[in-house]
Amino acid sequence: MIPYQKRILKNGLTVVVNRDRSSKLAAVNILYKVGARNEDPDRTGFAHLFEHLMFRGTRDVPSFDLPVQMASGEDNAFTNNDYTNFYLTLPVDNLETALWLESDRMQGLWITPEKLETEKRVVIEEFRQRYLNQPYGDQTMLLRELAYSVHPYRWATIGRSTDHIEGATLKEVEHFYRTFYRPSNAVLAISADCDEEELFALAEKWFGALQDTPFTHSPLPQEPPQCAPRTKIVERDVPATTISIAYHMGDRLSKDFCTGDLVSDLLSGGDSSRLYQHLVKDERLFASVNGYISGDVDPGLFILTGQLLPTTTEEQAIEAFHRETAALKTIAPSDYELEKVKNKFEANTLFGELNVMNKAMNLCYYDFLGDLELVNREIDEYRAIDGERIFEFAERIFRPENSSTLTYRAR
Amino acid sequence: MKQLPVQNTQPAIEISDAELLTLKNGMQLYLLPANEFAVMRLTLLFRAGSSRQTIPFSASATANLLAEGADEMTAREISEQLDFHGSYFDVNTDRDYVYISFAMLSKFVPETLRVAEQLLLHPTFPEEEVETYRLKRKQRLKIERQKVDVRAREAFARAMFGEEHPYGQCFDEAAYDHLTREELVAFYRQHYTATNGFAVCSGRTGDKERKALCALLEQFPTAEPTPRPTFPAINQQREVRLKHEGAVQSSIRIGRLLFPREHPDFVGMQVVAAALGGYFGSRLMQNLREEHGYTYGVISAMVNFEREGYLAIATQVGTEVTEEALKEIYNEIERLRTEPLSEEELQLVKNIMTGEMMRILDGPFGIADVTIENILCGRTNRVISENVERIRKITPEEVQRLAEKYLRREDLVTVVVG
Repeated sequence: MIPYQKRILKNGLTVVVNRDRSSKLAAVNILYKVGARNEDPDRTGFAHLFEHLMFRGTRDVPSFDLPVQMASGEDNAFTNNDYTNFYLTLPVDNLETALWLESDRMQGLWITPEKLETEKRVVIEEFRQRYLNQPYGDQTMLLRELAYSVHPYRWATIGRSTDHIEGATLKEVEHFYRTFYRPSNAVLAISADCDEEELFALAEKWFGALQDTPFTHSPLPQEPPQCAPRTKIVERDVPATTISIAYHMGDRLSKDFCTGDLVSDLLSGGDSSRLYQHLVKDERLFASVNGYISGDVDPGLFILTGQLLPTTTEEQAIEAFHRETAALKTIAPSDYELEKVKNKFEANTLFGELNVMNKAMNLCYYDFLGDLELVNREIDEYRAIDGERIFEFAERIFRPENSSTLTYRAR
Repeated sequence: MKQLPVQNTQPAIEISDAELLTLKNGMQLYLLPANEFAVMRLTLLFRAGSSRQTIPFSASATANLLAEGADEMTAREISEQLDFHGSYFDVNTDRDYVYISFAMLSKFVPETLRVAEQLLLHPTFPEEEVETYRLKRKQRLKIERQKVDVRAREAFARAMFGEEHPYGQCFDEAAYDHLTREELVAFYRQHYTATNGFAVCSGRTGDKERKALCALLEQFPTAEPTPRPTFPAINQQREVRLKHEGAVQSSIRIGRLLFPREHPDFVGMQVVAAALGGYFGSRLMQNLREEHGYTYGVISAMVNFEREGYLAIATQVGTEVTEEALKEIYNEIERLRTEPLSEEELQLVKNIMTGEMMRILDGPFGIADVTIENILCGRTNRVISENVERIRKITPEEVQRLAEKYLRREDLVTVVVG
């Protein structure tokens, strides 16, 4: 349970605050409603590259990190397909340093051609380190391309190729900044041991004077229903073959989200889960196996993936996955099994609320989803799921014509 | 533009001492009550890391197979019970110790400790589980060794300590074939005793929890402390280069063997390491990432083992700029030795280090982690404010003197895989 208060400033900036009486730290989180899904298909990876540029200094403050660090603070950021998130913790006495810096870079960013060139090289090294120089590094990229035909989720946040990053221009940078980085396209959350009114006053002081120029953007292309199974086989220099199957499911605010998440826990949440017990331990088909939902805002994916043991054939592996999804359509999970995955969700929620940073981050995220109350209500949504809902979900989602199967074959 | 608000850069950093209970069997239990949280974590440490093993992989296998079957519970029942109550069980083996943790909701403490009792005190290491484990681990290690970073880490340990040294040894994946159930049982009996480790508990710990913890931990057998194994002499190699087919990045490790945490210069060298590569704006990060774009990241830190300690620098750079990157790293080290830091830069490093400490101490589990580190060095939690004080007092001249003394080019060990 995270107690919070919310207000919207005149310029459209949403501010959410939480008073935490146990921490000596303040957490400041700012979320911009722009992610890889908003990118031009010929300039993918741009939202993430831009996130890097946000640390490259403004006209007034040449380095973002320096004053943060001088204030004993730590900051970082991440980008995903849906949004870009900047977060920072520092001793509560230095809270204003964070607000000053975040307000400054919401409008004063100053990118030179030299800064852009260096940052492109850094991001290309990140691309190489995480996706090209790793066994299985391109696996999720391939699965996205297979599962989506038109929706921008078909590319990963890092982008489709290093060429897209290489080609980014200063003009594109400026346009992107003006379009997406403004008060009414952002959510600010603060968690600290401070009076709520005081926190709202500080938000007004540092962000109230910023201008907002609303911008309407064109709707994203939505993925049409999939009508036939898709398969793809690639060969790579890896020691073991992996099989992944992706199924389309509903969006983040639909009932599918909680149900899908719960089903993924039935299948692979912990060592007692079905896939681990049946396919890893009893049948010894896989070395490891996982079931998860992509968790995107727009309709997302339910993904099954497993790494085969040397004695397992690809057909056996795929058949085993199909058997497990078929079982979900015929035998209802026991009350005990449902209780287990619900307890797990509750525990994860509690463990996740132990520090100020997670709380501020969650507040921004749920407000961005458009349902801030859900941050404290979601546990009830999980509790309400019954066997019927799981049958219905499994029937509708785990159909061959809704599936994309990627075989990542060891050469 | 509005002015930079006034900053308080000297916040007090201290936490209270853990409460120590010595149980009937000699086991030591440290308590860090934080009753405002509805969670609890119990961590046990045993001197049962890989430097204590005589058969390759037996230390980590013993720890990893604890939950795979016990006298009164099968592996399945153990995982069922832990998952049902939303409890987390985690083991981690390093060169010196094994760390075993249980994190649980306060409302499920009795249920979780009942499982803990089974797997901690009555593990059976079933033959078929050992077999599955061998198979899975072999495959995993094979995959791991396709990564330049993993190969560099292993090669660096060998170069730093020597192939025969317990801190340098790496084993072929085929060594898993020789791992037997009997060996695990023997290793467990010898090392998992009341007198060969201790326990730390944080979060909500009232009377009920204390009683339950004592009842559990008192069951560990008392035994003569296991003798400290004799280590062979350290045998260093100054430079190692390994080829990695198809790599687009090289992994670089550069380091210098120094001393463990008890040494009077350890904290001073932590400041040196932080200035060099311990934060986002550090010398190496500025140079390799911000100025040259050679890398996504570079880090340097002091690494502490029970008997040794070293400074290490780690990065991955584009293969085509490997030589340039090496040159820049050596230059940055040399610059620390020949010029003092400005007062401003040193102040920045100090503030970062103290801020980092505050962040680690935010929340009951972080406090437990720091307490464990302190116990391992034979210190109470008072050492935290002492170290902070030591960091705040260090001068640019002292930083230069330490770098001069400890980071001579001819003493550095360099490993490149790519």
